[in-house]
This record gives sequence, C-alpha cells and structure tokens, in this order.
Amino acid sequence: MREIGDANILKEFCEKFCSIVDRHCKYIIVSGYLAIATGRSRATQDIDMIISKIARPAFVALHHDLVREGFNCVQGDKPEEIYDFYLAENTSIRYLYGNEFLPEMEVKLAKDLLDNIQIQTRVKIPLTNVDVWFGSVEMGIAFKEEYLKSEKDMEDARHLRIVFKEEINEQNINSLKKTIREVRLS
Amino acid sequence: MKQTTTKTSHQDQVEEWANFVRENPDKWKAQHTKFINAQIKMANEALQRIRKQKNGKEKIVELFSVKNKQLIASL
Repeated sequence: MREIGDANILKEFCEKFCSIVDRHCKYIIVSGYLAIATGRSRATQDIDMIISKIARPAFVALHHDLVREGFNCVQGDKPEEIYDFYLAENTSIRYLYGNEFLPEMEVKLAKDLLDNIQIQTRVKIPLTNVDVWFGSVEMGIAFKEEYLKSEKDMEDARHLRIVFKEEINEQNINSLKKTIREVRLS
Repeated sequence: MKQTTTKTSHQDQVEEWANFVRENPDKWKAQHTKFINAQIKMANEALQRIRKQKNGKEKIVELFSVKNKQLIASL
C-alpha cells in the first residue's frame, strides 16, 4: 500500500479504511485530517474517526473485515474484548496497516448528541480529493476554537477559515459552539 | 519579545500557505503530497531502525502501547 508512485500515503490509507467501515456503519473523519486533507501543511500520526454507536456483533463483523483486508488493531486481536474494554467505555482504539505503525486510524463510537449531529451532517469535500465522509468544516472550526483550543488546533481552524472563506457561515459556527458548551463543557 | 516575533512569523506562514491553497487549486496538492509522504516515510524508516536495535521491539511496543499479541509477534 505504500509504493504507489506519488499517491498521498494518508489519503490512500484513509480511503481504504473508510471503504471497509462504510459497509458496516456510518462514520466521519474529524479533527486534524480534515485540515490536512484541505491543504494544511503539518505532520500527524493518526486520523480520527467517529463511527455510529453500533452494537458488539456489528463491531465484531467490522473488525474481522478490517483484519481480512490487512489492518491490525493495536489494542488486541479479540474484537469482543476490544469492544467491551475500549469502545463501550468511550475509549478509542487504533488500527494500522500490516505492522507499519504510521499512519494509524483512531476509532471511537459516537458518544453524545454532538457526535450524532456530526454524523448526521457529514459531507464529502471535493477540494480534498479524498473520497471519504468528513465532519463539516463549520463543526471542525467550532470544535477546534471552542473545545480543543491548542495552538495546533487554532492554526488548523485558521487554515480552514481562510480556505473556506466563501462557504462558512459564522452564525452556524456560533450556534455549534453554543451546543459544544452545552453538551461538553457544562 | 523574541517568542512573540517567532509566533507571529509562524502564524503568517500558516496564513500564507492557506491563501496559496485557496488561490492555487491545481498547484498545492503536489507540494503537499511530497511533504506528507516524506514525513511518514522518514518516521517509518526510523521505526524500522529502532526495531532492529537491541530491545528495539520492546521500544516499539512501549511507544505505541501495543497489546495485540499477534501484532507483537509479527514485529
């Protein structure tokens, strides 16, 4: 998977992983990779994915499918245990391709109203040329400015604001920030 | 004072590059791909070298908190 000419390693990894997840549940790619796929020039070692709150049997089927296609879960090889010890406890799990440690996909279950809103309003973003579902740009900006707030996140948000200048709606962002405060910060 | 100057310069760079992406839809991807791929390849190559060191496998397991026994065996 790493030897295809000038293909972008992150894009290739992300599209392959997402195409498998897509057979089992709804998902979104959020946070740093949204900024990177839209041109932000910074490093990352993982891609963040939120999947709909599937039950244990559905996750077991998804995990087997991922393993069959060459992915390994860092936390273990028994999907029932991975589900019970990690996902059901709102702890993320990580998958890598083969035994190459970079990049990796960090996966967590949707845990609250905000995650569900993000999944419901997911979008494909032609600018990225990455054929996967992303959380919306406005949600990405709102999360980074209101919740995450690290220097790296604020720079990601600045990047998104400039690149999507004509498309973003400030009122929507403010409304999403209000929801973030109510759901995550109160 | 020095810190403020450095930070401003860095923020300028972030904004200049974002504007370049917005204004050059046909040009930014090639540069960006080289940049992303180079970082990942460099890091993976370093991890391969670590893996070959004495106790290298244990370092990798610790670095990435690996608990998957099959994955550990494959290192």
